[in-house]
Amino acid sequence: MISIKNLHASIDGKEILKGINLDVKAGEVHAIMGPNGSGKSTLSAVLAGNEDYEITDGSVDFMGEDLLEFSTEERARMGIFLAFQYPIEIPGVSNMNFLRTAINETRESKGEDPIAAKEFLAKVKEKSALVELDNSLLKRYVNEGFSGGEKKRNEIFQMAMLEPKLAILDETDSGLDIDALKIVSHGVNTLKTKDNATVVITHYQRLLDHIVPDFVHVLYKGKIVKSGGKELALELEEKGYDWIKEEINA
Amino acid sequence: MSSTLTTNKVEEFVSHIAENNLAVWNELPNIRKSGVEALKNLSFPTTKDEYWKYSRTTKITKNQYKFNQIDSANINLDEVRVAGLDTYEIVMVNGFLNTELSNLPKNDSITIKSFEECTTEELTTYFSQNLDTITNFFSALNTAYFSEGIMVIAKGVCDKPVHLIHYSEGESVISQPRNIFVTEKNSELSIIKSSINKNTNNYFYNSVNEFFIGENSHINYYVIQNYEEGMNVMSTNVATQENNSTFSAFNYTLKGDWIRNNTNVFVKGEHCESNLYGAYQPTGKEHIDNHTIMDHIMPNCESNEHYKGTVGDKATGVFNGKVFVRKDAQKINAFQSNNNILLSDDATMNSKPELEIYADDVKCSHGSTSGQLDEEAVFYLQSRGLSKESATALLISAFLGEVVEKIKIPELKEKVLEIYGME
Repeated sequence: MISIKNLHASIDGKEILKGINLDVKAGEVHAIMGPNGSGKSTLSAVLAGNEDYEITDGSVDFMGEDLLEFSTEERARMGIFLAFQYPIEIPGVSNMNFLRTAINETRESKGEDPIAAKEFLAKVKEKSALVELDNSLLKRYVNEGFSGGEKKRNEIFQMAMLEPKLAILDETDSGLDIDALKIVSHGVNTLKTKDNATVVITHYQRLLDHIVPDFVHVLYKGKIVKSGGKELALELEEKGYDWIKEEINA
Repeated sequence: MSSTLTTNKVEEFVSHIAENNLAVWNELPNIRKSGVEALKNLSFPTTKDEYWKYSRTTKITKNQYKFNQIDSANINLDEVRVAGLDTYEIVMVNGFLNTELSNLPKNDSITIKSFEECTTEELTTYFSQNLDTITNFFSALNTAYFSEGIMVIAKGVCDKPVHLIHYSEGESVISQPRNIFVTEKNSELSIIKSSINKNTNNYFYNSVNEFFIGENSHINYYVIQNYEEGMNVMSTNVATQENNSTFSAFNYTLKGDWIRNNTNVFVKGEHCESNLYGAYQPTGKEHIDNHTIMDHIMPNCESNEHYKGTVGDKATGVFNGKVFVRKDAQKINAFQSNNNILLSDDATMNSKPELEIYADDVKCSHGSTSGQLDEEAVFYLQSRGLSKESATALLISAFLGEVVEKIKIPELKEKVLEIYGME
């Protein structure tokens, strides 16, 4: 589905990603772990098309297309979804209005008709139940005054509505209590099919008890330095990141 | 030396306007005379005057103007009509009342009449009562040479809003409508003011509206300014409130080459509420200036003022809001805020909120912000599939929408949302 080759990216002249290589196939769940400052959030921002970052080398192939050639909205319409670590509050824009616009612009770009009101509402009802998002939150302004857990559930709700091919969850577990974590994970697991893929970016193993990865990668100093199965996450949980740092720095 | 020169310029400017034969019945000669006398001591405002610091008037005063009465055969008012809303339409064409197109009701709840139909007492009671014709050149000019006007008197809860429609057409034309709105005790009135302009060039529209809000009466005054090219607009609104009254003014400026709105409220009664709301979005080289005065003279009142704007391209926005709380006006809650978004590096916003408080037991706040569109929010919306353009438009709608939401007439709100492209 996505093939990242030797990806280098920098911000304000400082190189953050120093040659990322990663292949994700349809139906797979990949976890990217790593200590703070290793480049995890940069990788997700770059894949989503954040223009603050400059790509200095490498390539990203997404379903046969050169992803880096496309704008943020084009990537979203192609099926890339980024669940933000810190979802943005947008006063004055209702959740519903925002989602309807997002869905319709995606449909329009594919030459499809706008979604029918009835179909939209039915979908909202179904998908919001999935993450136990209260009806009143749907009518409110995007993320405004939402608790940390509500914001994260709203991200997964949007993901459910937009049905992406590749979902990148950036530290979706940060700030979540165990109940919220279970709800969010349940949502993600339910949305998983053999045709889509998920990249879970996290600092902690805890989330991976609920969203079980097929592969775990360790990102350190802008490179993937170790890859393995789900047992690698457990090892990291037990030993911390120091042994990896020592291995690399040795 | 220089003052003589200025005076001569004013004299010349005024002389062209004075050539026209304007109405002079009843008390009008005396009223006009007071304006003519005031003009003799006035010069054109310059940016050296604090009140005109950010708005140059040379664009207006360098030209010569004539009144221009035209027939109404080809005038179509549909574009400003509010779908589903029944109103009393008052139509003024180049500043002159058009009785054919207007509906002047005279019933139990509302009377609308031309100045010709007004009694001496009505005219002397209300004319220029709180208007500064002594230092304000344009108010004096309107008083001396207003083209025509109406008096609206609400006696009860009016069954329909009054829709005042100003139609403008022509080159180097001056239009100086003068209107008076009176709400008697326990009455209620909504006014919508719209404008249409066709084939205008160097057009100078200088209107004065005076509001007298009687005891326990309420006025909602909605102004929609959506001008095509060629208009210079000076709009002065002065309101006086008595006990337990409400005055709410809503000003929505969509387009206009050069617009200056002066909205002044004098609260002379207790337990009054005053609301001033405004939204503006100048683009291109437009210049939109809102000046307000909220003058609390009596205790136990509340005022809310909120103006919001986006300024794009090489446009300029100006906001100056002055709140006075006089010595005896205790227990006043006065709130004022002005928020702006600059959409380009060449856009300018001059915002100056001012508070002058002479009482000691009051709750007042004022604030002003000018910033850029939230780039993170734009990226967030784009990451969900919205184009940059629609993300920006959505954020602007959300920003200005807060003020549009204040409109109390649902049909009108719909209309304003539609012309802002916010549906």
